[in-house]
Amino acid sequence: MKAPENVQVKKSTSKLHLQTPGHGSYLSYIRTLVCDLARKVGFPEDEVAKIEMAVDEACANVVEHAYKSKKEWHWKHRDPEIRLDVRARNGRLIIEINDHGQRFDFAAYNPADIEGRIREMQPRGYGIFIMRKFMDEVHYSSDDNTGNTLRLVKYLQKR
Amino acid sequence: MKDFRIDKEASGTVELLRLTGSLDMYSFNRLESQINALFQQGRHEIVLDCQALDYIGSAGLGALIGFAKQAREHNGDVKLLNVPDRILKIIELLGFTKVLEVHNNEQAVLDSFAKHSSPGSHS
Repeated sequence: MKAPENVQVKKSTSKLHLQTPGHGSYLSYIRTLVCDLARKVGFPEDEVAKIEMAVDEACANVVEHAYKSKKEWHWKHRDPEIRLDVRARNGRLIIEINDHGQRFDFAAYNPADIEGRIREMQPRGYGIFIMRKFMDEVHYSSDDNTGNTLRLVKYLQKR
Repeated sequence: MKDFRIDKEASGTVELLRLTGSLDMYSFNRLESQINALFQQGRHEIVLDCQALDYIGSAGLGALIGFAKQAREHNGDVKLLNVPDRILKIIELLGFTKVLEVHNNEQAVLDSFAKHSSPGSHS
């Protein structure tokens, strides 16, 4: 597949490095490459579908919230971009998604009563629940030098 | 990777929208515009044929239950048809099938509007 404009890609059989503008039009391309790697390293299709959705939610949050244009933030002078580092190692797929947008208090965000939200047919607020449900580890960090990094880990076999 | 496309046709009082490609945070605004336009025309009986859909994200799923809620407030509904297994497993795991009707027979879903079947049923 040909890379869209303004995208940097480096791929091997067990690694992927991808840098795209922080725009929703690149999410489909990001999902395709991450799913390809997950399949190559041995994840069954049901698990690939979960990884796809978790990565999509993470990147959608970057586009929608981290780079929300109305507010000011530390790195606002930089062009909005998403960087993904994906690697398979020791029976797990490690996906790191980095941005230079607004920080998010990930640890404090604990969406209440998802079943209730669905029952009440609320249209929003499922992204982080989905990441936590579909991945084995979810960790967010932020600092002034490297930006915000969300680390998603999926084990090839359940421990 | 297919571009998102909506093909619309009417069957009596029911609007049938055939979706192709990925329904994510980038594309779902187009579906939202189409459905809002139908609501404004007073058309609240809508079927989304998902046979050619290859992905749906939480923005799309959330929007679907929001549309179904609005439609039910006007005695209509938004129902899903021919959801591919890969997507159906995901939306079942997340619990969205408890509030969205999912069908796999086109005539049955069209007929179901006349019968006002209950949420979560399968045909």
